[in-house]
Amino acid sequence: MARRWLRIGIPAGIVTIFLALVGLIGGFTDVYLIGDQISFAGLMLVLPAFVAGLVAAAPRVEGGERHEMRISEAAVAAAVAGAAAGATFALAAVLADWIGDERIRTVFLNVTPALMEFVTFGLATAIGALAVVAVSALAGVLGGVLRVAPASIRRPVTAAVIATLLFGFLQRVIPIALDQLSLERDWLYSPQFDGLTWIGALVVATVAAGISVLSTRFGTRLRGRLAGVTGVGGPMISPARVIAGVVALALLIAAPLLLGSVISEVLGTVMVFALLGIGLNIVVGYAGLLDLGYVFFFALGAYSLALLTGATLNAFGIPPEPVISGSLNFYVAIPIVMAIAAAAGVLVGAPVLRLRGDYLALVTLGLGEMVTVLVGSPWLVPLVGGPSGMRGITDAAIGGLAFRDPQRFYYLALAFVGLAAFVSWRLAASRIGRAWTAMREDEQTADAMGISTTRFKLLAFSIGGAIGSLGGALFAVKIGSLTPASFQVLVSIQVLGLVILGGMGSIPGVIVGALVLVGLPGLLREFEEYRFLAYGAAVVAIMVLRPQGLVPNVRRSRELQDEERAQDEWAKAAEEGETPPEIAPANGATT
Amino acid sequence: MGTGTILEVRGLEKHFGGLYALSGLDMEVRSGEIVSVIGPNGAGKSTLFNVVTGIYEPDAGDIRYEGVSIVGLRPHQVVKLGIARTFQSVRLFANMTILENAMVGQHCRSRGGVFGAILRTPGVRAEEERIRERAREALGFFGKRLSGYRLEQPAFSLSYANRRRLEMARALATDPKLLLLDEPTAGMNPRETLELRDHIVRMRDELGVTVIVIEHDMRVVKGVSDRVIACDYGQKIAEGTYEEVAHDERVIEAYLGTKAAG
Repeated sequence: MARRWLRIGIPAGIVTIFLALVGLIGGFTDVYLIGDQISFAGLMLVLPAFVAGLVAAAPRVEGGERHEMRISEAAVAAAVAGAAAGATFALAAVLADWIGDERIRTVFLNVTPALMEFVTFGLATAIGALAVVAVSALAGVLGGVLRVAPASIRRPVTAAVIATLLFGFLQRVIPIALDQLSLERDWLYSPQFDGLTWIGALVVATVAAGISVLSTRFGTRLRGRLAGVTGVGGPMISPARVIAGVVALALLIAAPLLLGSVISEVLGTVMVFALLGIGLNIVVGYAGLLDLGYVFFFALGAYSLALLTGATLNAFGIPPEPVISGSLNFYVAIPIVMAIAAAAGVLVGAPVLRLRGDYLALVTLGLGEMVTVLVGSPWLVPLVGGPSGMRGITDAAIGGLAFRDPQRFYYLALAFVGLAAFVSWRLAASRIGRAWTAMREDEQTADAMGISTTRFKLLAFSIGGAIGSLGGALFAVKIGSLTPASFQVLVSIQVLGLVILGGMGSIPGVIVGALVLVGLPGLLREFEEYRFLAYGAAVVAIMVLRPQGLVPNVRRSRELQDEERAQDEWAKAAEEGETPPEIAPANGATT
Repeated sequence: MGTGTILEVRGLEKHFGGLYALSGLDMEVRSGEIVSVIGPNGAGKSTLFNVVTGIYEPDAGDIRYEGVSIVGLRPHQVVKLGIARTFQSVRLFANMTILENAMVGQHCRSRGGVFGAILRTPGVRAEEERIRERAREALGFFGKRLSGYRLEQPAFSLSYANRRRLEMARALATDPKLLLLDEPTAGMNPRETLELRDHIVRMRDELGVTVIVIEHDMRVVKGVSDRVIACDYGQKIAEGTYEEVAHDERVIEAYLGTKAAG
């Protein structure tokens, strides 16, 4: 038993050490979430111990049976795991103190005296180390007790904690919205420390817990009633989803007005990535073709729009003349850009048609890399300006109304995202979407059932490419100038990451994925350098914990539930000594 | 139900390295027949189906369907001409619903394109409704087993026998003239096997589909076949009614070995 708890606790301690070494603790001692007591660094220090407690209190499965832990058992297990995490970290701290932080700093730059002081709570090292163990054990116990608490307690507490943390993280966003609405904000966010005030935190937590309790108690009944009244709520669309959709849409439309231009700038980027995500989702999510070179279409869209709308080379000594004379209006150029990208989709798709899975991924990765090299190469300087790029790209004005301003650009991008989402949704629900799904499930069988896999693969590449090029074109409008630095292979990875995070095949998932992966790091500038660390962690966590994504495709999640239900019935029937329903259906076998 | 030749195979050869899966197979199937193909494991029966449906290209020989050679066509083109099949190891689209699986069968009989799908034109909507109707009809061939609440369930939730039925329904949904069934009763219990025997006969009698069936269960072979073709080493070794083939010496030898060897 104790060995199991140590096996959970020690890695958690190592995670804490890692967080400290990469600077996620030392760099954030004065980013406060609540008051001036709970800082982001403090959260990072105890979070691994908390998670260790959660895991240690998980029900054990022995001989196919689940054993839920009693609260006392769970508390002990979680305390041991948490303390083990704390002890591991404390040991490292003591060791670091013994070696001397200035010597460690030659390798690990983030081990500063400030960090050392923070992790020992400003006490003498030995006492501080003991304090770390105690605090970690306490965090572990909290995690463990939460795990085994009955749902009526666990759900509201979880909701309260998550809401409070979210409000804490959004300390640059929500106050601006409150200001815009001319609402009093000082009670919620401390003007001195930026984070939530204790009163504010208490209010947020109470409200979140209250909503959680209400929705558990009345949610089911309300759902039934709503379904009865509106007729909405078949197997496909639950009323909760409809309400969530309407609220989300309203927020998306109101966001730039509430949040001002600095955050609108970030949201504009989010929308560009959402557009890329919707495009890649067709290729990866619908057709099941793993494309790691999606940056190709992003670059193609950006540069072809720039050329068509009369951008100039960004170089010394060359008079600023359009590369291609006779520049087009943005709205005339867009269909042409998309047509070029669709054609390019066929060209890229054709050579890789026979490849599957890993091989397809590798080849597309190579194709994507070629784009970065090509647009930066001396060979193409006369066309796209090489490393120094292009400038003077259209601002997509209609009449006198230009769209470079972050708030206006957001709406332009949102309109295109809406359009792309609509197209994507209609395609998925059609004969074409069905053919893609069949192909994703089993390519050879799809072929044997009459689906031309060549045609539908090329179609996916081409439509996905056209939508991706739209993302590129909008990006060009947003920035106003282009350099190869914007078209690195990381773009492909980022877009794939947001598609996976949101849930493959799900359009709302793509938008949530873009908000989380592109929006959050953009909103918290301090975290900019940890963006890819967070990406990696998020993708790994999703693949392990929730492979269907944050907002899974409706049909797929329904299938998962159905499977469980079918298994339940089966098991119940078997228990009662009857033949399971599938083998002898109630309607009687006719022989 | 015509009486002309629907499928004609001449001198068909298919090698995998040094292995001759088919070595000069000849056979003929007339429209409206039910023909069983029997033979020991490795006799080339499944390879025959794979070559006819375009999954493999033959190394030599010709396949004529309704008088036209179909050698070199891709599988989806073969389906469009009216040859549908099932697989020895059931191959469904496991995460699609039962109705959707059958709707995939109608793919080759429909033509809605990208712009139609996006704009959802009246033509496309009518076509989608027709696809759905035709798929329901094909599933309805197996009575209540694949209809009602099951329509919206994912295919993986079906029992083994129902998976086989769904695979047949999906093939029927392609509106075939010729249906190739690869060991349709494998893994079914005796009662299900007998039920399926009746279904195969009904496919011919009610739907007018010509059927070629690879089968090991001799009760089924006896019950459905107008004609039986026995194969061994990629060649036809006997042909005729069930009684004739069952008493053919070469067939007995192929199954049981020669007297000297036995």
